[in-house]
Amino acid sequence: MGLFPQFLVDAVLLGGLYCLMAVGLSLAYGVTRIINFAHGEFIMLGAYGAYLLAAHAHIDPLLALPLVAVAVALIAFLIFKVCLERVLDAPHTNQILLLFAVGLVLQNVVALIMTGDDRSVSTPYALTATEIAGLSLPHGRAIAFLVSLILAAALVLWLRRTELGRATQAVAQSRDAATLMGINVIRMYALSFMISAALGAASGCVVSFLLTVSPFMGFHMLVKGFAIVVLGGLGSIAGTFVASFVLAFAETGVAYFVNEGGGWAEGVALAVLLVVLIIRPSGILGRATEGN
Amino acid sequence: MAFTTPMRILPFAAAIAFSAACIALPFAATPVVNDWIISVAKLVVLAVSWNIAANAGLISLGHSAFWGVGSYAAVLAANKLGMPILPAVIAAALAGAVLGAALAVITGRLRGIFFAIATLALSEGLRVIAVMLVGVTGGGEGLYLAQSLRPDVRIVCVVMVCCAVGAVAISWVLTRTPYQYACRAMRANESAAQMLGVNPVRLRVIVLALAGALASLAGGVNIWYTGFLDPNIAFDLHITILAQIAPILGGIHTVAGPVVGSFATVFLSEASRIWLGTKGFSLLVYGVALIVCILFMPHGMWGAYRKFHARDKQRAVAGRAA
Repeated sequence: MGLFPQFLVDAVLLGGLYCLMAVGLSLAYGVTRIINFAHGEFIMLGAYGAYLLAAHAHIDPLLALPLVAVAVALIAFLIFKVCLERVLDAPHTNQILLLFAVGLVLQNVVALIMTGDDRSVSTPYALTATEIAGLSLPHGRAIAFLVSLILAAALVLWLRRTELGRATQAVAQSRDAATLMGINVIRMYALSFMISAALGAASGCVVSFLLTVSPFMGFHMLVKGFAIVVLGGLGSIAGTFVASFVLAFAETGVAYFVNEGGGWAEGVALAVLLVVLIIRPSGILGRATEGN
Repeated sequence: MAFTTPMRILPFAAAIAFSAACIALPFAATPVVNDWIISVAKLVVLAVSWNIAANAGLISLGHSAFWGVGSYAAVLAANKLGMPILPAVIAAALAGAVLGAALAVITGRLRGIFFAIATLALSEGLRVIAVMLVGVTGGGEGLYLAQSLRPDVRIVCVVMVCCAVGAVAISWVLTRTPYQYACRAMRANESAAQMLGVNPVRLRVIVLALAGALASLAGGVNIWYTGFLDPNIAFDLHITILAQIAPILGGIHTVAGPVVGSFATVFLSEASRIWLGTKGFSLLVYGVALIVCILFMPHGMWGAYRKFHARDKQRAVAGRAA
């Protein structure tokens, strides 16, 4: 079988994982209008949660996922109450510097407790693969793809079909109108921040058996998340899904077909981010975005 | 007037005497003290640079981009062209100015968070490029500065302190020119500033070229102290964090703030290293300090001091009236 079909398989599987990594960032921005610079750290916390449960209690990362997601959501609630609630009306730059600092604290608390060593979780399916018609389908990535799709679908269903989900969308559309409709806006902010963190933690659990886990892994994921969210249009969930696959195809394409592509692939997200910011800051499916 | 003039001159006299003492100090000090002097001086340059950009509403999350480009420019100028420290450092500053001006032009009218994310992407992108261009940068293996060109550590120390004094002087001069008002107007509302006759694009180019030149200068001098460079050192996230933490801690949008903040930041880092032992603690302490500052002391230490001072004066006036 040629290189091209395998490229398609790898890109699609990676795109699913990117969806889960970025959708939390997109949700939190859409509702609170705050870009969560600590989102990478929620992913990192999720990965460590999965690692700890696997190493000490022999719980599979996929079984640990709900537990870890809830725990990280609670941490996010604390962060919201202690820090974020005070700066909701402050300039955006204060908010991002604050969240940047929160991320810094989370990274280094974990680095102090767990040391800076790289860790990994080994599962029976992490390194196996199935051959179908000459194509290799790695089980770990396939499972990650499925989990991502299920969670993304659950998020969309929740937003569309439930009272709270619709209230969240109302707040995202207009804070003032939502307040007038009797929605407790601050509570919706807290809820969406927690759900966003839980989705981050879930992607951390999935990532834990695919990549190495370290306290400083969050930053690279954050940058990729930014690239996806900006490309898709800030705050647009559908745009995020589309952009995840665009980035995955671009990165995998560079890795497959460009000389020394493995190294350059790391820069694709950054190039995408810069180009989109310069040419079309509102992204593929984004509405007009405000400055400042 | 005759009464107020000495009061106005006093801070300057103190600043000049202090700068002179700092410049002379490396010749008498031990290596540890020299290390502290370099740490504070390079941070002052970085912090002033970050603050100059922040004054115009341009929050940078990628100051390591300038730092790294300055470092590479200095190393390459020395190794390939045989330049000694001073011309190499000037080359570094020029490279930073060009990068800053280019950033201003390509980011066009991006504001706030979008500008911040663009700078972050720039710095990470430059790191990837530095890793991949093995022929120029030595790639992941890094580069050593030609040993024969390296001057005495004390000379490097003096150059860095001179840069710090120069950077503070520039930021002070800026507060005496109309640029200060143009910057403040830009920070508050770029469209409104344009209506008032400020040319935002030109101002951006000037501000970012200046900020870029200063940050690259710091990187370009620092490489003569450390002597080794690789992409991860050059475009280290740590530099970005330091560049923003010092002005915020000291007091953003002021002349004294970045200087006060630089001393405080180096003190925090050294104190946590000496008393708590682990290197990880200093970053944790920075993070906590940053959170506390943004939440409770948005004008930083210098702002808090001035507020305290103003209240004191008010009380004295009230006391005299009673």
